[in-house]
Amino acid sequence: MAEIFTIALIWSTIRLSTPLILAALGGLFSERSGVINIALEGMMLAGAFTAAAATYAAGNPLVGLLAGMAAGTLIAAIHAVACIRYQADQVVTGTAINILMLGLPAFLSGAFFLSSGSTPQIPKEQLIPRLPMVIAFVMVPLSWYVLYKTPFGLRLRSVGENPEAADAAGVPVARMRYAGVLLSGLLAGVGGAYLSIGQSSLFTRNMTSGRGFIALAALIFGKWRPVQTMLACLLFGLTEAISIQMQGVVKLPSGDDIPVQFIQMVPYVLTIIVLAGFIGSSRPPQALGIPYQKER
Amino acid sequence: MKLAFWSALVVLCLLAVFGAACNRANYAADDKSKVHVGIVFDIGGKDDRSFNAAAFAGVKCAETGKSPDGTSCGKPALNVLVRDIEPGNPTSIEPAMRAFAERGYDLIIGVGFAQAPIMEQVAKEYPNIHFAIVDGVSNLPNVASLVFKEHEGSYLVGMLAAQASRTGTIGFLGGMDIGLIHRFEGGYEEGAKAVNPNIRIIQNYVGVTDSAWNNPGKGKELSLAQIGKGADVIFTAAGNSGLGAFDAVEQAGMQNGRATHFVIGVDSNQNMVKPGFVLTSMVKRVDNAVYAIVQDVVNHNFQAGFHVYGLDKDGVGYAVDDYNKSLLSPEMIKRVEEARSKIIAGQIKVTDKMLN
Repeated sequence: MAEIFTIALIWSTIRLSTPLILAALGGLFSERSGVINIALEGMMLAGAFTAAAATYAAGNPLVGLLAGMAAGTLIAAIHAVACIRYQADQVVTGTAINILMLGLPAFLSGAFFLSSGSTPQIPKEQLIPRLPMVIAFVMVPLSWYVLYKTPFGLRLRSVGENPEAADAAGVPVARMRYAGVLLSGLLAGVGGAYLSIGQSSLFTRNMTSGRGFIALAALIFGKWRPVQTMLACLLFGLTEAISIQMQGVVKLPSGDDIPVQFIQMVPYVLTIIVLAGFIGSSRPPQALGIPYQKER
Repeated sequence: MKLAFWSALVVLCLLAVFGAACNRANYAADDKSKVHVGIVFDIGGKDDRSFNAAAFAGVKCAETGKSPDGTSCGKPALNVLVRDIEPGNPTSIEPAMRAFAERGYDLIIGVGFAQAPIMEQVAKEYPNIHFAIVDGVSNLPNVASLVFKEHEGSYLVGMLAAQASRTGTIGFLGGMDIGLIHRFEGGYEEGAKAVNPNIRIIQNYVGVTDSAWNNPGKGKELSLAQIGKGADVIFTAAGNSGLGAFDAVEQAGMQNGRATHFVIGVDSNQNMVKPGFVLTSMVKRVDNAVYAIVQDVVNHNFQAGFHVYGLDKDGVGYAVDDYNKSLLSPEMIKRVEEARSKIIAGQIKVTDKMLN
C-alpha cells in the first residue's frame, strides 16, 4: 500500500485531471447556456492536433497553445452555428463533430507531415507541461466568479434556464449561447493541447481516448457547477492514478497479479458508488438541449 | 430546401451503391500488368513508428525498392502495385478488405491479430485471392499466417535490460492486454531472470480495448509510475502509447552524460526516437515477412499456412546501431549472442506465454 499512496500519486492525479478540468469547464459554459456539448471530445482532438502541429511548425509551444485554442473555438463555432442558428439536434451535431475529428487530423497530418494521423515528435524543450495545469486550476475560481458574480454569468445562466423570460428581459439569447459554446471550444482546445504538447510530445490519432466524455460525466456529476465539477474531475483523476499505481504492484493473496481488466474497472466502479451513494440527483439547466426560437 | 436535401441524399446513396458496383472486378485506372497488393493496417495506423510502420516498410520496399524515408531498402523492387487502407475504427476493417477483394487484387494483407477473424470470413468468399495475415492464424487454403516468435526476441532484450539495470527493477509496458502481448512480456521476463534471478519486473497494460494502442498520455503515466517504483529500464510493446514511455525516460533525464533510465523500443527499430535513452529495440521484421509474401505471389509461389519467423530467420532480434552502440557493452552483447545461438540450437526453450 505504501508504494501506492505517495507524492507521485498526487502529481499523477493532477496531470490526469488537468485535461478533464479544462474540458469540463468548457462544457459548463456551453451547457449552462442551454447547448448540450457532446462534442468536447472532438474539440479536444482539434486542440491537440493543432497545438502539436503549430508547435512543430513554429518551434514555440505558446504559439501551439494559442493555435490549439483557436482550433477548439473554430470547431465549437460549427457546433454553435448548427445548434443555434439552424436549431439542429445538439446531440446529433456533437456526435457528427466527434466523428469528423476522428478523420480530419489524420487527413491534415497526411497533407502536412506525410503521415496518417500523427504529428512528428516535439523536442522536450518545446513542451509546456505546467502552463495548461495552471490555466486549469485558475479557471475554476474564475469560472465561478464569471458565472455567479458578473452580469455576463447571470445572463448565460438565464438563457440556459428560461430563454423566453431572458429574451423578454432583453437578454440576447442567441448571442449568449454563441458565447457559451465558443468558450467551451476554447477551453476544450487548451485541454487537448495539454494532451499533445504538455503530457505527451506528439499527436496520435484519437489520442483523447474518451476523455471528452469523462469530462462530460464529471460535469453532470458536479451538477454543472465549477468547483464541484473540478472535484469530480479530481476524483476521476485520482481513481485513474490509483489504478495506474496499483497495476502490477498489488497482488492477490495467492500471489497472482490482479487482472488488468479488474484494475481498470476501479475508476468507473468508484464513480458509480460515489454518484449513487453520496451525490444525490443532479439537475441540468432547464432549457438544456432545447433550441430557442424567438417568437414572431 | 427540404426537398433539395432529400433528393441530394438519394442521389448520393444511389451513387454509393451503383458507383461501387461499376468498379466490380477491375482495377479501375490501375496498371493491369502489375500484381496488385492491398494492405489493411491495424488501428494504430501506418506511422505508429512501430508495428504498422514495419509492415508499411515491407510493402513500400516491394513496390519501390525503397524505405519510406526514401533510402534503399536493400531489396529489389518487385513489379507490384500497392494500395493501403488505414481503418479509422475496427468496424471499417471488413469493408476495406472486401473492397480489395471485389476489385480482384492478387494479394490482400491484413496487419494485426484483430483482423484474423475478419479475414477468415472474407477469404472464404474469395477463394481465388491470396490473403496474408500478420500476427494472426487461419487454416484456410488461401491464407498465409505470418507469425513471429516475439518471445525469443523479447528474451534477448530482457537479458539486456537486466544487465543494464542498476536498481534491479525493470518495467514492461504492454498496450492491449491480449495473448500476443503476453508473449512479449513472458519472453522479456524469462530473459531478465536468466541474467538476474532476483530481478523485479513491473508489468503494466495501457488498456483492454483497442484505444490502448493510441494513448501516449496514459503510457507516460504508467511509465512514470514504474520509474517511481524503481524501474530503470522499460520495455514497451504498446504501439503509439509506447511513445509515452520514451517521453517518461527522457523526462527522468541524464547524469554525467548517460541517461538514468532507458526504454526498449518494439517492432520497428526505434533507437532514433530519443537517441541516448533507447537501450535497444526488439525488432520484429514484419517488413521482411511482408516483402517475402509479396515476392511469393509475384513468383507464383504462394503457400498458405504458417510462415514462422524466429531468431533463426532473423524474424525477430534486437537492434544495434549508431544511436545505441555506446549504451551496450561488449560483455552485454556477448552474453546475449550466446543465448541467441542457444535458442536457435534449441538448448534454451523460451516459454510462449500466448499458448500457455
